[in-house]
Amino acid sequence: MTQSWPVADLDPIRRLRVMAASIRGAGVAERVVPATVDQVWAVASDLENELPHLVRDFRSVRVSGRDGDRLTMHARGLLGQRARFDVVLEPGWCWCQSRFLLCGMAAAPHPDGTTFGFLGGVRLPVAGVLAPLLSTAGRPLIAGVLDRLEQRVELRQL
Amino acid sequence: MPVPEARREPVADLVRRAQGGDTMAMARLIDVLAPYVGSLCGPIALQDGPDAAQEALTTVFRDLRALRDPDALYGWVRMITVREAVRIARRSRRSTPAELDDVPARGDPQLATDVRDVLDRLSPDHRAVLVLRDLESLDEKTVGALLDISTGTVKSRLHRARHSFRKAWNR
Repeated sequence: MTQSWPVADLDPIRRLRVMAASIRGAGVAERVVPATVDQVWAVASDLENELPHLVRDFRSVRVSGRDGDRLTMHARGLLGQRARFDVVLEPGWCWCQSRFLLCGMAAAPHPDGTTFGFLGGVRLPVAGVLAPLLSTAGRPLIAGVLDRLEQRVELRQL
Repeated sequence: MPVPEARREPVADLVRRAQGGDTMAMARLIDVLAPYVGSLCGPIALQDGPDAAQEALTTVFRDLRALRDPDALYGWVRMITVREAVRIARRSRRSTPAELDDVPARGDPQLATDVRDVLDRLSPDHRAVLVLRDLESLDEKTVGALLDISTGTVKSRLHRARHSFRKAWNR
C-alpha cells in the first residue's frame, strides 16, 4: 500500500530556494520565461558560450574537465582575475562554487513557459554580517542576468 | 537527481562538509534528502507537499550546524519534516476531516487515487500519525514524543486513520 502513497517533488527551482535561504548573503531571483525548459536550458547550460553573456563580470569561461555531471570550469574576470569553479550540471540545475564565489541556476516548467532562477553569492566569513547589504546590492545584478537570459533565449528562437 | 553509486559519498561526510560551508556538499545533500523528505511531506501535506518539502529542507539547512552527530541526520530531518508538513497542511485550511461517504471502493479506479482520497479526508495530525507508524514504523511512544502528544492520543488517531482506510476499502 505504501508504494501508492503520494510523494512530494522538489523541483530545481525549489532546490535553488532552499540553497538561497540557507546561504547568508546569497541573492536569488526568478522569472517566468515564455519558452520551454529545453529552450531555456539550452542557453543556461552552455556555460562556455553563454555565461559570459549572462554574467557581465565573466570575460571568458572555459570548461577544462568533465566527469558525468561534474565539471571543472575556469572563469576570467573583466580585470583579468581568475577563478576555478567546481560545477554540477544537470538538466534544469547548475551549481558552481569557487573559493570565493557561488553561482546557481535552475529551471522548471511553468504554465506560461519556464521558471528560471539565478543565485549569486560570495563565500567570505563576512558574508553573514554583510548579508542585507549583499542582498540589496546584488538585486539589480541578478535582475540583469535574468534580462539577458531572456534575450539569449529569444535570439536562439529567431 | 540520483548520483552514480561509485561516486556516492558517505552522508556523514556530506553533513560535515556542508556544516563547514561547502555548498557543493549542500547541493548533494539536498539530492540525498529530497526523496525522503518528499515521501513524508506527500502523504501529510498532500498538494501542499512541495511547499512543505521546501520549508522543511530550508529549516534543515539553516539549522544544520546545530546537528552534532551526523549519524543522527535522518531522525533529525524526520522530526523537522513532519512538524513542517503538519504546520503547512494546517495553514492551508484544507484540513477538513470529514466522513468517508464518497470514497471510491478499493481498486476503483486506481489504488493510488484511493489512498489519496482517504488521506484527503483525514486531518494533517491524523495523517502524520499514520505516516510515522505505518510508513516509518516508529513505535507509539516515539511518535508521541515527535508530535508532542500523548501515547493515548497517538493510539486514538491511529485507530481513526486505519479505520478510515478499512472503511473505504470495504465499501
